[in-house]
Amino acid sequence: MSRFKLSAQFKFKVWMAYRLLFSKSFLQRGSAPLAFLGLVLGVAALVAAMAVMSGFEETLKSALTDVTAHVQVVRRGKLVDDWPQFSKKLKAIEPSIESMMRFAYAEAVLANKGQVSGILFQGVDGPEMKNVLRLDNRVRQGTLEIDKDRVLIGMGLAKRFQLKLNDSMYVVVPLSTPFEKSGFRRQAKPFIVSGILDFGKNDWNERLVIGDLKALQDLTEIGNRYTGAFIKLKNRDQSQNVSAQIAQTLGPSFAISDWYDVNRNLFEAVRIERVIIFFVVFVIVVVAAFNISSTLYVFIRQRYSDIAILKTLGLSTSDVRNIFVGQGVIVGIIGTAAGYLLGLLLCAGFMILQNSFSLISGAVYKIDQIEVHLRFIDLLTIGIATTALCFLATLTPAIKGSRLEVVEGLKNG
Amino acid sequence: MDSSQSGGFLLEARDIFKSYPTGSSELPVLKGISLQIQKKEAVCLLGTSGSGKSTLLQILGTLDRPTSGDILFRGENMAQLSEDDLAIFRNQKMGFVFQFHHLIQEFSALENIMLPALIAGDKRSDVAEKAHEWLKFMGLSDRAEHFPSQLSGGELQRVAIARALIKDPEILFADEPTGNLDSENSLKIQQLFFELRQKLGLTIVVVTHDLQFAALFPRVFKVKDGRFAQ
Repeated sequence: MSRFKLSAQFKFKVWMAYRLLFSKSFLQRGSAPLAFLGLVLGVAALVAAMAVMSGFEETLKSALTDVTAHVQVVRRGKLVDDWPQFSKKLKAIEPSIESMMRFAYAEAVLANKGQVSGILFQGVDGPEMKNVLRLDNRVRQGTLEIDKDRVLIGMGLAKRFQLKLNDSMYVVVPLSTPFEKSGFRRQAKPFIVSGILDFGKNDWNERLVIGDLKALQDLTEIGNRYTGAFIKLKNRDQSQNVSAQIAQTLGPSFAISDWYDVNRNLFEAVRIERVIIFFVVFVIVVVAAFNISSTLYVFIRQRYSDIAILKTLGLSTSDVRNIFVGQGVIVGIIGTAAGYLLGLLLCAGFMILQNSFSLISGAVYKIDQIEVHLRFIDLLTIGIATTALCFLATLTPAIKGSRLEVVEGLKNG
Repeated sequence: MDSSQSGGFLLEARDIFKSYPTGSSELPVLKGISLQIQKKEAVCLLGTSGSGKSTLLQILGTLDRPTSGDILFRGENMAQLSEDDLAIFRNQKMGFVFQFHHLIQEFSALENIMLPALIAGDKRSDVAEKAHEWLKFMGLSDRAEHFPSQLSGGELQRVAIARALIKDPEILFADEPTGNLDSENSLKIQQLFFELRQKLGLTIVVVTHDLQFAALFPRVFKVKDGRFAQ
């Protein structure tokens, strides 16, 4: 005996599932709408939590690349001298380089009003800086202008040394010399603070000073030589491949690091945190699915007479099961859609709260303002997980209901 | 088993036994019943409550399986069909009417009548047209969009009969179809059965305890204590 025409049968089952699900008697009973609401809240919480976590990760990533660019190339043990030739060579290795600039750095000491502290003095190509680093939105006071006398400092350093704009301070570097008994001499130069920046990370704010490359070269007496290059790529996510490519071509005399590699521990921690939060919040959805399952149990129990008559009229056991499972999937899909909408509202609410109150501790997370970021992959994962869970939740009551003996069900008339 | 051996009967029951487990023992309900029904015959199973007549009807209608014995439809042994195949078989060959209408509350009269044909996967527009014809035949044209809660007892039972017949079954089983109706409606439904038999050439098997109704049938089997009484 052959099966019925598939498509018409399928349409009929969807129609049955839909009609029985959206019946007045079912919807007006308190437990069904409440179980559904639980699911919507769970999905919304997931959407909001994932959006905030992704936003946090995104904010962190941009904070890090703003200051260090995407890839750093440093000559080991020696300085580089010919920039045009070196930059041409780098460009030839990797055409996806958007812009680059040379830089040099020196471990130095900052001295002001009797206080001293170790700093990292980084000299960059003034005119090129805006093409490679993105410091514009990191300025808290002043400007980004650097020249032979003017430098940018981190806000932690400014606070500790009570430095204000246009204040003067000394940068001291040790230089090796055979003419001194100790083997080195100190070289000091006064600089003026032209900008106070939030570098996005606490240790940078406490230690980093950015000045003009020429000024650093003069101070450390290295001539026209420099430490290496900052490289900005067209696509930030390509940096690991690009750095590997450059490392392979330039050989072991160069140390290549990309922004992700440098902060690998931090990103791994954030990634794990995100997965954990997903599962913790997902528990809400699991609880909601149990609610849906128990509601469906009651629903099916009350439908014994209908199940019996449908089987009498020719519906098979698997058809009955599929109709009830179909209801679970319909609930899952509608619940997910409604949850997305509510999740978006929660995100908007989060942004309003964040703008009104200080929610994030800058000292702990090294950033004090985060964006919410809805990723397609997050939404897809939430949608699939929720619908699959609803499917599983309805499976047991659906199978139980479908196995009802016709004679047994007719007694319930 | 081929049809020649079944003597050309539409439906045949051979030595049917049915018992239900009650704790450690078995409660026998049917104790060896055999019966042959020809095409277009009208058969009545008459008996008091608990005599086993409804159980017999359910077994004849493949809604339940006998503990032992065979049910043959046109010579084909129903025991060989799986549950799902039996469902398809019932959909195409059999119609059922019960004491309670068993209409689905959320569906209109029209949709309830359409159900068996929709289950079979028939084209919806054709099915709707046919269901309207049946409503008209039953004098319920203006009730098409009404829900079961908006219909009277007699109307409900007529919708249930229309539902049983929309797939043009060969045999109609009715279990106390007038048991829940007042005498006037009861009479109308009784007449309707014979009208339908005449019109459609339908085979009818009715279970009742109503002697007046039973008297209308050319063949009546009295069921007593799970056996046919003389």
